[in-house]
Amino acid sequence: MTDQITTDPSKPSQRMRAGSMTITVLPWVAGAIALAVMPAIFTSNSALTIMNQMWITVVFALAYNMLLGQGGMLSFGHAVYAGVGGFACMHIMNMSDFFAAMPLPVLPIFGGLFGMGMAMIVGSFSTRNAGTVFAMISLGVGELIAACSVIIVAFFGGEEGISGDRTYAMPFFGNEFLQQIDVYYLTSFWVLVSAILMYLWSRTPVGRMANAVRDNPERAEFLGYSARWVRFYSFTASGFFAGVAGGLFAINYEILTEENLNTASSGVILLVTFLGGVGFFFGPIIGAIAFTLLQTVLSLQTELWAFYAGVLFLATVMFFPGGLAGLLMMHVPVFKLGHARSLVMPYLKTLLPAAIGLLGLAALVEMTFHFRHAALGDDEMTVFWTTFDTHTILPWIIAGVVTLVGLGIARATAPSLKEAWSAANTAPPVTTAKGGAA
Amino acid sequence: MSTPALELTGLKKSFGKAEIIRGIDLSIGKAERHAIIGPNGAGKSTLFNLITARFPPTSGTVKLHGESLAGLEPFQINRKGLSRSFQITNIFPKMTVFENVRCALLWPQGYKYSFWNLVNYKRDLTEGADAILEQINLLERRDLPAGTLSYAEQRALEIGITIAGGANVIMLDEPTAGMSNTETDYITDLILKVTEGKTLIMVEHDMSVVFGLADRISVLVYGEIIATGKPADVRADPRVQEAYLGAALEAEH
Repeated sequence: MTDQITTDPSKPSQRMRAGSMTITVLPWVAGAIALAVMPAIFTSNSALTIMNQMWITVVFALAYNMLLGQGGMLSFGHAVYAGVGGFACMHIMNMSDFFAAMPLPVLPIFGGLFGMGMAMIVGSFSTRNAGTVFAMISLGVGELIAACSVIIVAFFGGEEGISGDRTYAMPFFGNEFLQQIDVYYLTSFWVLVSAILMYLWSRTPVGRMANAVRDNPERAEFLGYSARWVRFYSFTASGFFAGVAGGLFAINYEILTEENLNTASSGVILLVTFLGGVGFFFGPIIGAIAFTLLQTVLSLQTELWAFYAGVLFLATVMFFPGGLAGLLMMHVPVFKLGHARSLVMPYLKTLLPAAIGLLGLAALVEMTFHFRHAALGDDEMTVFWTTFDTHTILPWIIAGVVTLVGLGIARATAPSLKEAWSAANTAPPVTTAKGGAA
Repeated sequence: MSTPALELTGLKKSFGKAEIIRGIDLSIGKAERHAIIGPNGAGKSTLFNLITARFPPTSGTVKLHGESLAGLEPFQINRKGLSRSFQITNIFPKMTVFENVRCALLWPQGYKYSFWNLVNYKRDLTEGADAILEQINLLERRDLPAGTLSYAEQRALEIGITIAGGANVIMLDEPTAGMSNTETDYITDLILKVTEGKTLIMVEHDMSVVFGLADRISVLVYGEIIATGKPADVRADPRVQEAYLGAALEAEH
């Protein structure tokens, strides 16, 4: 072996290194610009609130995916770490002297540290195994801490929770975070920093070994790594970022209650992460955005939003285990082969009728709900900008026909879509392995 | 004589009442290529698993370079310079071929559990992994998920992972099991090449591989070693012929 280093551009290692710089920096710059510009497009206060909630969910979901997607650990109690981080931040807000000497943007770090501390305690015994044992312990711990909220009232504040006032912090360059927009930029800063750090974590030795332990813990042990310690470090890091999310929640809402750390919240974050796709780093980001939109925008339209979210989740698990991100990334080979154009028409032919059919089905669901639950005498309802009487037969027939025809056409055109899909994917063996490693 | 690379004394293992390994004494010198053969169910894989602490022994000791391995976990034994492959291909199927090898380099190159190093920017890791890939002829498959390789390629990759860390004692469990003749020749050459100057301990069924590779052979029958020695001596041993080799050799000719 010679020590002489030659930069042969054809060598795969060099090529990869040269390419990876541009590939990895670009999305972050785009993300930062998007974060900065969003408030100029969606100016209303409620839009800012929705976006804040979205970014907090992004941090939490990314932290959760450090366990689920990257470490292969299914946790049913991850809200505990976000919750503990959030509660700690609320207490700091209420420590007037200390808080008055601290600029508000620093607060999420404390949330992170408390979340991490909690994760280290629980991780010390829960990460011995992955799989069912880990899942059961996480569930048990989740229930236990949620129950503690009414026992350790000093920390969790019992049923009314803990509230505080973020504006008592030391002004940050003269800013006291009175306005929603100020909080938006604080949250955006933290979501960007956390996402970058979590991404970089996945590129470190311990982050790579988390993947290895997920795939084959025994093999990893025979490469010199203790599967348990690798899991513990992932768990600790995940706890830190969950705590950051909790701290951001505390800043945004200025109140934390038992709801923030109970099993329902843990279930939601699992749903969000899985919906977005656990196989890719950016999956949880998409999941958090999609889910928050469902939760906020759709819930304004219908009381049944959770029903639709559930259906979507089921459909994801059953038909697209890769989640929304997997669905997107499925198309990368097609684009690389230059066949994307050939898919446009088949997609329109199948997905448009399918969408219309599903909307018809949704109308039927809404009508049934209205028929059963509306106050006596309130026979009129509005679905899709149309007002009608649910106690007459015509609307039912129309909705039923739309559903049947829409889904019927989709079903009839599905085989040709399948053909077009395999035709678009036919080419020399596809050699894309990147991205899947996240 | 210098301390043997691997020394087994009175090694025993029972599962319940069944005695699988019934007292094995074996000493394998440095840079020796040692094959363990024996009929099915003789306990060859169990012996491997005892040495690498996949199971704890019922009694007896295993010494690596004169140092007892009692009570150590597999990852601790690996760090002491003993590396193994498995009878059933044991790789990271979802990760790329390159990443499989790179994972094997992380600990030996001192990266441990660090989260301040970015693996993509470490030239020693990238070049080290590429050098291993070149050695096992998988450079062309570099960026494919390991699970999509052919069987022989996966076996070659596993050997690559096993040797990548630079361990000086290499244990291979049936490296050529289930392979065609050409594939077997390819793997045999590969093993010869990559274990140059290292201690090799392998379990193998294919007699042509065993006699082509091994400096010494041990014959394991019903949990006991009935003969150890140079290939020619073992071949000539009447007990061995009776127990195992005769039948196998006859079948081959």
